[in-house]
Amino acid sequence: MTQIPPGVQSAHAFISKRLKLSGILIIAGLLVEGVSLLWNHPLSFVVFLGFGGLLLATGIVLYLWALVSRVP
Amino acid sequence: MLTAAVLVLAAITVAFIALLIARPEITLARGGKIVAFLGLFILPVFAGMLGFANHLERSKQTSFCLSCHVMGDYGRSLYVDNPSYIPAAHFQNNRVPREEACYTCHTDYTLYTGGIKAKMRGMHHLYAQYIGKPHQPIKLYTPYNNRECLHCHLGSRKFEEGAVHSADPQIMADIKSNKLSCTSSGCHDSVHNVSQLDHVKYWKPQP
Repeated sequence: MTQIPPGVQSAHAFISKRLKLSGILIIAGLLVEGVSLLWNHPLSFVVFLGFGGLLLATGIVLYLWALVSRVP
Repeated sequence: MLTAAVLVLAAITVAFIALLIARPEITLARGGKIVAFLGLFILPVFAGMLGFANHLERSKQTSFCLSCHVMGDYGRSLYVDNPSYIPAAHFQNNRVPREEACYTCHTDYTLYTGGIKAKMRGMHHLYAQYIGKPHQPIKLYTPYNNRECLHCHLGSRKFEEGAVHSADPQIMADIKSNKLSCTSSGCHDSVHNVSQLDHVKYWKPQP
């Protein structure tokens, strides 16, 4: 079995922490968007865009940022 | 159907993300990186876009428009028992789909084809409905455009060969170029007439 070098391990720990946070935000965004789709009302569109869209976009940006950011 | 597609896509995304959270070490391998890219970027973007399209599609429904209090009388006017009321005659005789009656005759309204300015007006309507106070009586932002009538009537025999429409070639040209309004030139001018709604008879649809 191949040993993972300590440098790679710490980088992985850093990225996986970011990925977890990003994943949680995306799941929250999808939940809000899913609930808004079950309600046919002008306010549901605001909830979809203002809350769901914001959570989803934050999660995606956090993921993309984790990919390109320098590991401490 | 579209709602179900969005919910299924969201469920698949959640499953991918749950896998990443439960076993983050899979991202060390190439396959795990692909799962992360799909679950944290591609699928959520698609789910968001599909959800947005779904919301836009549903906002064409008559019930959506009438969910604002200020639109209530306009909804009532669709049931006036008088064929000279243009919206009522169209609604009751299925000349427009009843479930999308408002949108069929107001295609340029707010969110649909009116550009950024129109979309901002849509947001302003939300503000006026829930925080501010809507103008009374409400008015169209721009005069009613004949295009809304012509996208169905243009080319129809009754319209093209109608005695008044074809009496003079200039009349037809003016109607088609929106110089002569269908609704405010004294020809088809009984539109919603909401100020008269307490003095008219109503049609009751068969259950």
